[in-house]
Amino acid sequence: MVRSQTVRAFVEEVGDIASFTGRFFREVFRPRYEWAELLRQSFINGYRSLPLVAVTAFIMGLVLTVQSRPTLERFGAESMLPLMVAISVVREIGPVITALICAGKIGSSIGAELGSMKVTEQIDAMEVSGTNPFKYLVVTRVVSTTLMVPVLVVFADAIAIYASYIGVNIKGSVSWSLFHQQVFDSLVFADFLPAFIKSFFFGFAIGIVGCYKGFNTKNGTEGVGQASHSSVVVASLVIFVIDLIAVQITDILGYN
Amino acid sequence: MEKPAHGIERPLVIGEEVVVRIRGLKKAFGTNHVLRGFDMDLHQGENVMVLGKSGSGKSVLIKCIIGLLEPDAGIVDVLGQDMLALEHEALDKMRVRIGFLFQSNALYDSMTVRENLEFPMRRHMVKMNTAERQERVMRALADVGLEHTVDLMPSELSGGMRKRIGLARTLIMRPEIVLYDEPTTGLDPITSREIVELMLDLQREYGTSSILISHDLNVAKLAANQVIVLHEGTAHAQGTYEQLMHSTDPVVRRFFDSL
Repeated sequence: MVRSQTVRAFVEEVGDIASFTGRFFREVFRPRYEWAELLRQSFINGYRSLPLVAVTAFIMGLVLTVQSRPTLERFGAESMLPLMVAISVVREIGPVITALICAGKIGSSIGAELGSMKVTEQIDAMEVSGTNPFKYLVVTRVVSTTLMVPVLVVFADAIAIYASYIGVNIKGSVSWSLFHQQVFDSLVFADFLPAFIKSFFFGFAIGIVGCYKGFNTKNGTEGVGQASHSSVVVASLVIFVIDLIAVQITDILGYN
Repeated sequence: MEKPAHGIERPLVIGEEVVVRIRGLKKAFGTNHVLRGFDMDLHQGENVMVLGKSGSGKSVLIKCIIGLLEPDAGIVDVLGQDMLALEHEALDKMRVRIGFLFQSNALYDSMTVRENLEFPMRRHMVKMNTAERQERVMRALADVGLEHTVDLMPSELSGGMRKRIGLARTLIMRPEIVLYDEPTTGLDPITSREIVELMLDLQREYGTSSILISHDLNVAKLAANQVIVLHEGTAHAQGTYEQLMHSTDPVVRRFFDSL
């Protein structure tokens, strides 16, 4: 009985998110366009996430390099270290880790902000003042995360590769030009493109889940907390599902 | 002007024109039938107060009027327009003609007082230049006596100040009808009276008509031309404050006996 209710609630929520997403696509191309709010949201979600993404990417690149070295040394393939780290970072770790960091930072903040606006009737106030709150609050946030997460992913990839250069030089000595050459000789456009495309979907998922959770907040301040944390949990899960689908598609298309 | 013993002037210049006409309004949430055929009229320049205990459906009523909730049945006619038949854009245009003061004030807490007041103007008065907009903001703040708060955040204001700013934001678009959702709830008696006086002053200045919903009989006494008692989803009784005060109806008596 309990299990059937849980399944029913899950299916209903998936349906609600799908209908919320449908509404987004109906509203996004229809004027009026909220350019100023879109810019503001892009600044908040993109620019203000740079320090966190930079630190995470730096540590990720450094740790990956340091931990991969012993295994490669065992096979005498130490010189492959820059290549291996670069491919891992660009194809998978960079987009996924950055998206998860953004789900935590941006997704939770969107869920909490819209949730608190909902319970304090600010969304209703916007509606009665003749402003479409879906367009002003949801469309701008979802578009901004969809555009900003890929930018953050490219930035994170670059930082992680530079961190890898430091990691390689902790126990060895490789010049920057050689490292650079090894990385970019091994990387091809087909490594970068699928990962870049999937990061748009990651950004979209973070925005739409955060907005859905915030916009449908109930039960006062307790509901705001729930909206915030479930935005992170659901967005993270959706990121992995998208990643799984993306890898199957790239495999079918022969990019793996 | 009518000048009762408490010294506050209620509006008396009431026109013939009905600006809000509600007939047979029904709204249910699942099995909870909140409104079961509510009727009322609001005339030009009039203050009608809907009195009811908590949970009686007062907020649902005004949310149905402004289109925040969709009624199950009935007629909601505002300024000659059938609100239930309006599409999105037409509804947004109508909403500019109707002000709504929320119980929680609903000030945008990520914006300053100035930005809160400018928000509706930026969207609906796009041809207005910055100087004109600033002038209107300062005039609205002067109306509520809070010019000095223009660059403060809502979190820096007291409850009474937030209510005044909410009132200024509601009136800045010069609405023809104002809906007040529990305007004095959570305020001390002195501030409550000041808010009611302010509401009436601004009503006289801008010539608005109002629907007030509250369980506070002081608001009825000070501000209402007509009081409607909402009971079990219908307009159970209607009259002036003085008429209802002498009513023998047990439902009406329960409000007055609790004074």
